[in-house]
Amino acid sequence: MSAAQFEARVTANTRLGGGYFTLELEADAPTPVAGARPGQFVMLRGAWGRELLNPRAFSVLHAEGSRLAILAKPYGVGTRRMWALRPGDPMTVTGPLGRGFPDPDPDVRDLLVAGGVGLPPLHLQARVAAAAGLADRQELYYGGRDHHDLVLLHDFAAWGVAAHLATEDGSLGVRGRVTAALAPRLAQARANHERVRILSCGPTPMLAAVRTLGLAHGIETLLCLEENMACGFGVCLGCAVPVHGEKPYRYCCTDGPVFDAREVRWP
Amino acid sequence: MTHRSPSARDPASVELACEFGPLRLQSPILAASGCFAYGQQFAAFTDLRALGGISTKGISPLPRHGNPLPRICETAGGMLNSIGLENVGVEAFLRDKLPFLRELGVSVWVNFFGTDFPTYIDCARSLGNVPGIDVLELNISCPNIKHGGIEFGTVPEVAHRLTRACVEVSAAPIVVKLTPNAADNVAMADAVRQAGAMGVSLINTITGMAIDVRRRRPRIATAYGGLSGPAIKPIALRMVHQVATRFPDLPICGMGGILSGEDALEFLMAGARCVQVGTANFAEPGACPRITRELRALMAELDIARTADAVGGLHPWPPEAEMHDR
Repeated sequence: MSAAQFEARVTANTRLGGGYFTLELEADAPTPVAGARPGQFVMLRGAWGRELLNPRAFSVLHAEGSRLAILAKPYGVGTRRMWALRPGDPMTVTGPLGRGFPDPDPDVRDLLVAGGVGLPPLHLQARVAAAAGLADRQELYYGGRDHHDLVLLHDFAAWGVAAHLATEDGSLGVRGRVTAALAPRLAQARANHERVRILSCGPTPMLAAVRTLGLAHGIETLLCLEENMACGFGVCLGCAVPVHGEKPYRYCCTDGPVFDAREVRWP
Repeated sequence: MTHRSPSARDPASVELACEFGPLRLQSPILAASGCFAYGQQFAAFTDLRALGGISTKGISPLPRHGNPLPRICETAGGMLNSIGLENVGVEAFLRDKLPFLRELGVSVWVNFFGTDFPTYIDCARSLGNVPGIDVLELNISCPNIKHGGIEFGTVPEVAHRLTRACVEVSAAPIVVKLTPNAADNVAMADAVRQAGAMGVSLINTITGMAIDVRRRRPRIATAYGGLSGPAIKPIALRMVHQVATRFPDLPICGMGGILSGEDALEFLMAGARCVQVGTANFAEPGACPRITRELRALMAELDIARTADAVGGLHPWPPEAEMHDR
């Protein structure tokens, strides 16, 4: 579905702990974002005047009819302002943008590997799969520094999606990084000739580790990337992603944000 | 203070159509080079036919892949970019991009550049004789090009020779996009004017920098980039005003941080005959049509009948009597 820019209002700003918050927005009428695939994103901008010009990119956490939700954490000046938003505050939304993850497939297990604010595409993939009766084909691998970093777990439980958790301090799940939980699963999949694929979103160092692991096991690995972008629809050319192939760069906003791990040109 | 009625005239009666040298523009609001790609991406969001024109991403003879990342960062009231003049090249532009632009019926300005005299001239020859291209906007001002490119935009004699060489091979009029990084913009404008440029575009981005103190490194990969957005608007207005005052007959396309109809009108009053909107397009794909509507409403409110009537003619300030009192 083609993207649009529209005005919306904040209906809820929910603090989740660990600094994370969900922002729920509602427009006057149903929006094209309701048709967003997991991994697709919106550009959001508040009434920020002339000081902060550019909108910020957020993966769609959930969207239905005239409503949509995102997950965020204060990081820079824009997200700090969003943290303070209250019901009724206006936001300009552009979306849905980019190309998302493939549909859940009854013949393939999706290993959803998440970290930090990278949860939404995988949360939405699990939601979509559950709605299609494919919850048992989804497994969540979710890591953070401590248990505060692991949010919205109840949704996965409600959908019947198994969650494998990892925290660096051991306060929830296995102690260590998410790859500590994922690695044995990949070895098992390879040994059993299971059809699995990795869908991952999170901090770039995590994605780099997931990519290395996925490639080492010969498992299809799709990474949902994040880059600085001013527009989100292929004009500013700020969000270049280094890739192998004919051209040295592709664009996070229009070619991605989901890329095959084999294509990404990382060390 | 005199009280003004909300609208001194009917906005529908305001004539936005204007002349820019030999060109007739349906509106003085154009989309700026580098901020509108080749136009297609905006068609999903907005009616491009409402624009006065579109200046394309800068075109070079061969495709360019651009700079390493990060390429952009936001700064107070603006943004820095160092995209590296990435573009599809002349051949692909003419084949894949121009037909779309030509269909729109708006003025098509093709921004172009080279890396030395022969490539600039080659580009002007290839693009300047193609039907449907109304203006060649000669980019001698991009800060993100190495190999001494800065000289084209900062040394008047070099700019003069380059402009003359391009004018000679192009049937389309040449508008030279000047850099604010030159020591004397009036001298630069004079140099390209005498070389046969039909007009000038003012200004390109201003070279700037931002630093991430936590990582102790520049925020963009090339360290320096071009600053755009409302942060540069006062500088742009001053430069437009200086050049317009010195050369009242030279058509000037003004730009630099235009976000509203009032911003656009400031540029017109400074002496620009038309304006380009750049950075605003990123956040708001419908920025150009909105700014056009705002300009129309503001001109109606101020009882300005036509765009030409808005151009230049600032009242002397402060009034003479007040000066004598001091």
